[in-house]
Amino acid sequence: MTAEKIDITSTELVSKKYRKRSAFVAIWNRLKKNKGAVLGLVILVLVTLLAIFAPVIYNYESDVIEQNVMNRLKPPSAEHWCGTDDLGRDILARIVFGARYSLAIGVVSVIISLIFGVTLGAAAGYVGGAFEDVIMRITDIFSSIPSILMAIAIVSALGKSTFNLMVAVGVSSTPTFVRVARAAVLSVRGEEYVESARAIGMRDWKIILVHILPNCVSQIIVQATLRVAQAIIASAGLSFLGLGVPAPAPEWGSMLSAGRAYIRNSSYLTIFPGLAIMITVLSLNLIGDGLRDAIDPKLKR
Amino acid sequence: MHRYIFKRLLMLIPVLLGVVFIIFFIMDLAPGDPVYMVAGDQATEEELDALREQLGLSGNIFTRYLRYVNNMLHGDFGTSFVTKRDVFKTYMERLPNTIRLASLAMIIAIVVSIPLGIIAAVHQNSLKDTASMVLSLLGLSMPNFWLGLLLILVFSLRLGWLPSGGYTGFRSIILPALTVASGLAALLTRTTRSSMLDVIRQDYLRTARSKGVTERKVINKHALCNALIPIITVFGIQFSNVLGGSALAETVFSWPGVGRLVVDAINQRDIPTVTGALVMTTMLVSIVNLAVDIVYAYVDPRIKAQYTK
Repeated sequence: MTAEKIDITSTELVSKKYRKRSAFVAIWNRLKKNKGAVLGLVILVLVTLLAIFAPVIYNYESDVIEQNVMNRLKPPSAEHWCGTDDLGRDILARIVFGARYSLAIGVVSVIISLIFGVTLGAAAGYVGGAFEDVIMRITDIFSSIPSILMAIAIVSALGKSTFNLMVAVGVSSTPTFVRVARAAVLSVRGEEYVESARAIGMRDWKIILVHILPNCVSQIIVQATLRVAQAIIASAGLSFLGLGVPAPAPEWGSMLSAGRAYIRNSSYLTIFPGLAIMITVLSLNLIGDGLRDAIDPKLKR
Repeated sequence: MHRYIFKRLLMLIPVLLGVVFIIFFIMDLAPGDPVYMVAGDQATEEELDALREQLGLSGNIFTRYLRYVNNMLHGDFGTSFVTKRDVFKTYMERLPNTIRLASLAMIIAIVVSIPLGIIAAVHQNSLKDTASMVLSLLGLSMPNFWLGLLLILVFSLRLGWLPSGGYTGFRSIILPALTVASGLAALLTRTTRSSMLDVIRQDYLRTARSKGVTERKVINKHALCNALIPIITVFGIQFSNVLGGSALAETVFSWPGVGRLVVDAINQRDIPTVTGALVMTTMLVSIVNLAVDIVYAYVDPRIKAQYTK
């Protein structure tokens, strides 16, 4: 009797371990075959490495911030690969340091919206009833305000700072995660393993954390990757309007806004920061698309 | 059907009340007492109080909210702190410019994306398919205000074909419309492609073909009509992004629309204009979304059936 019991548990453990690993490996194997996703991963790793090692390559004070009027508006050359801006600062150095802002803002704002969105959405989906109705109606209200306008209003109300920019972009993309998390929870709520967890007296929040969310994680990761891409565009847009990271920090959107005045004769001021945004966002979109296909091959065509 | 429309209209009321409250709450977080902006530094305490009463700034946030909603129902969205003009009137003067921009952008997006998406789906995995997917991925990854700057660089400054900003007749709308259209076109191309791919393998298409219907008619009539529902859905959802995104395009091209009205008002801390413009834009978005929903209730009998039960 005892031996039999141990036996079952150990097989279950083995199969559980095996299944967990194989699901991950299967997704990774499918992702590896997707050329676009691999390209996206390579670009994103490069951009991230540049952002991390920016202080090794350039000196923030002397290359990025310090103004040098003698050097102003120099076109791209061997010394300054992307030219210099109106204050004589190396554009490439500013773009490399700007990657730190864009990646940090993109990731942190999505983490903010994940925390609020997934908590509210999962709770709404799990609890149901009037609670769900209230949460979803509030989500409807939030999502009917055009998100960029809402972000503009939030930044202007809270004041211009990098953190407030993250909050503004995060709040304006929260409704997406409420919806995704709720839909994901609804799709597994009725499963037997959830019912049995409830039957053995597990607390609700623990059921959500241990049994429900791990089964919805893939959909949330795909959405999060794509949202980081959109958050980078949104924050660059706010900085472009003068509502983002305060000067003299090298944010890509504010670099574009500063370069606008010189577009006629020094178009490199406008071209390179925009390329940086596009390449970073493209890499995230490629990864997001690839992940979606890898996680659910049925959707792929 | 009338019951469905009536129900949806009723559901709009709490949403709009909520929108006003959220915008009100956000604008209330702004530091500083706006009354000083109007009165200047020299005003006495009594004058400030009188002015607060007059501008509707007295009382706590709930009394001000109720007063605002009451005024709003009478068509009064307040007076600008900066220009001293009626917010509703200013908004309505700017709105046609934004509508013009948004509609041309949407037309461009549809004209480009639907054929592109169909070609991609019909020739799946061919060079045409890859090309249109790469193009739409680039469109999605490009910040539209940067595209606007590049268009100015090429078509206004280098080639001198089109004006770089302001509103001076039809020629001046082309570049801003292309800018706003880019993201939408990219998204619609992808939606059209995947929606067509869903439909293209259905049995009724095989039936149509075996009846001898021409391939052209099979695609344009049998397939596209059925693929349209998801496309209309995305289109409706994106209207909000088109209006929001035009705030950036309008800034790049100095286009006198409502998006720029909001941006300018925010820079001048003109709270009544910001609140009013956001509320009215959101109303517009909600009404358009409702209209889209009603359109597909007409197009798709399955949706109508859910509500007439």
